[in-house]
Amino acid sequence: MKFNTKLVLGIESTAHTWSVGIMGFNGEVFSLVNDTFIPDKGGLHPYLVKEQHLNNFKKVIREALRNANCKIRDIDLIAFSKSPGLGPILKIGAQVARILGQLLNIPIIGVNHCIAHIEIGRLMCNIEDPLTLYVSGGNTIVSAFESGRYQIFGETLDIPIGNMIDMFARDIGLSHPGGPKIEKLAQESKNYLELPYIVKGMDLSFSGLYTAAKRLIESNSLNKIYQISDVAYSLQETAFAMLTEVTERALAHTGKEEVLLTGGVAANKRLQEMIAYISKEHNAKFQAVPLKYAGDNGIMIAWTGVLRYTAEEKNNYLNIKIDPKERMDNLPIPWRGEKK
Amino acid sequence: MRSSTSIIRKKLLRKGAEANLYQGYWFGKKVIFKHRIEKAYREKTLDLNIRAMRTLNEGKALIKVKEEGINVPQVYEIDMKSALIIMKYIEGQRLKDLMSNLINSQKIQIFYDIGRQVARLHINGHIHGDITTSNLLITDDNQVFLIDFGLHEYSDTIEDKSVDLHLFKRVLISTHGSDFKSCFHAFLEGYKSEYKLSEKDESKIIIKNISAIERRGRYVKRDKKEHG
Repeated sequence: MKFNTKLVLGIESTAHTWSVGIMGFNGEVFSLVNDTFIPDKGGLHPYLVKEQHLNNFKKVIREALRNANCKIRDIDLIAFSKSPGLGPILKIGAQVARILGQLLNIPIIGVNHCIAHIEIGRLMCNIEDPLTLYVSGGNTIVSAFESGRYQIFGETLDIPIGNMIDMFARDIGLSHPGGPKIEKLAQESKNYLELPYIVKGMDLSFSGLYTAAKRLIESNSLNKIYQISDVAYSLQETAFAMLTEVTERALAHTGKEEVLLTGGVAANKRLQEMIAYISKEHNAKFQAVPLKYAGDNGIMIAWTGVLRYTAEEKNNYLNIKIDPKERMDNLPIPWRGEKK
Repeated sequence: MRSSTSIIRKKLLRKGAEANLYQGYWFGKKVIFKHRIEKAYREKTLDLNIRAMRTLNEGKALIKVKEEGINVPQVYEIDMKSALIIMKYIEGQRLKDLMSNLINSQKIQIFYDIGRQVARLHINGHIHGDITTSNLLITDDNQVFLIDFGLHEYSDTIEDKSVDLHLFKRVLISTHGSDFKSCFHAFLEGYKSEYKLSEKDESKIIIKNISAIERRGRYVKRDKKEHG
C-alpha cells in the first residue's frame, strides 16, 4: 500500500506502557498498539516492567505495522520518549529506536513525554493554545505556553494525583488500575468527611491527604460511623477540588481561552465535570483528550516527534540522550515559536 | 443605625479565580466588595469551609498586616457567612497589566519596593502564600500595595519564607520571562535592604534556601548539590 504522506513510528516507553503508534506527518493515525504492565500486587517495579517491555517490544511493533498495513521499510522517522520517566524503561525505547534508525538508515528523534501529552491534545481536540491540566500516575502539572516554553504554573510538591489514588486503591484491596474503581466506589457516597486540603500558590500537595484517608480506613470507626465509599468519595472530592482550584487560578492568571484535560486521570468523569465547570465560568472552551490518547501512547510521541523534527531537522541524531528527570519548562518549543 | 442605602454595591470589576470583585460605596467611602462566590463544582461542606475560612483568614491578616505598616487595603467589614470582605478601594493597576507599559528603570524601582514590602511581612511573621503580579497593585504615584491574603499564614520559619519567595520567582519566570532576571534581582535587593533594618537579619539564609527548595522539586538535577 502507498501512503500519500511520510510516516512516523512513535515509541512510548517511560513507565508501565510500551506503546507503538504509526501516523502520517499530516496527523492521520494509522495504528496504535499498547502493551501495559499490570502488577499482581504492589506498584510498578522497574525491573519487572523492563522485563515485560523487553519481551514484548518486537511483537508490539509488528502488530502496529500490520494494523497500519505497512512495512518497516515504509517508515520515514522514528520518535521515542526520551524523558521524563523510569531510567531503565526509557533506555529500552531509546535503544530500540537507535537500532531501528541504524538498520533502516532513517532519522530518529527523542521527545519529552509531558510535552507529547499536550501536543496530542492540541491535535486531537483541535485547539490552539490551551491551559493544560495534565494528571496521571507520574505527573500532576498545570501548564500553558508562554515566552516560548510550556511553562509550569502549578505542580505537585510531593506525589502525583494518579499515584495517590492508586496507593489508596491498593490499601483498600482494589487491584491495579485503581482509578476507575475508586471513581465507581465514590459514586456510592454523598457523605463528605473532612480531609486536608493543601494548595500553596498554584502548587499542590497530596501526601497529607493520602495519609489522612489511610488513617480513616484504619480507624475503628470504619463501617460504624462511615463507610469505605465515604472515604473514597471524600478523597476524590478533596483532591479534585484542589486540582480544579489551581487550574482555575492559572486560567484567571494566564487568560487562556481553552482548557485541556489530559493524562490517565483525565478519564475520570467527576474531574471532567469540575474542570468543565470552571472553564465555562471563564468563557474558555473545555476539552478532555479522548482516553485512547490521554493515557500514555505511541501516537503522542510520534506526533511530537514530527513537530520537533520538522522544526529542527538538523538535530536528527543529536537530541536522543535519555533524561529521566527532564523538566518540560526547560525545553524550547520551536514549532510554536511564532506566538509570544 | 445605618440605612441600607449606606452600603452600595455598584458594578462587577473583575471575576477572579475564587472571588468576584465589585466596586461600591460604604458610608460614603469608595470600596471593594470581595465576594468569595459559591463554587458549584465543589462538594458543599468543603466549599463552605474553604470560603468561610479564607474570608476570615484574609480579613484578619489584612488588619494585622496593616498594623505593621505594610501597604494593604483597609478592611471595613468581614462577613464570614456570606464570605464577603469590604475593603478600601485602591486607585491603581495590577502589576501584571502594567508591566508592558513600564520602562526598565520603573520596573526596577517597583520590584525593589515590592522586595521591601515582602520583607516587612516576613520580619513580622507573615507569609503571603500567593505573591504574584496579579496580587500587587501599583498606584498612580508608584506605591506598591499587596492584596489577596486568602492563603496567608503565620510563620517565622526560614522554610516558609523561602517558599513564599520561591513561588514569586516561579510566577516571574513563567509570566514575565524576559524581565525575570533584572526584576527578581531588584526584588531581592529590596528584600535584603529592608531585612537589614530588623533585629535579626535572616535574609541571606532565606534567599539561599530558595535554591534548596528548587532542588527538592520534581525533575530537578541534583548533581549540583551544595554541601555544608
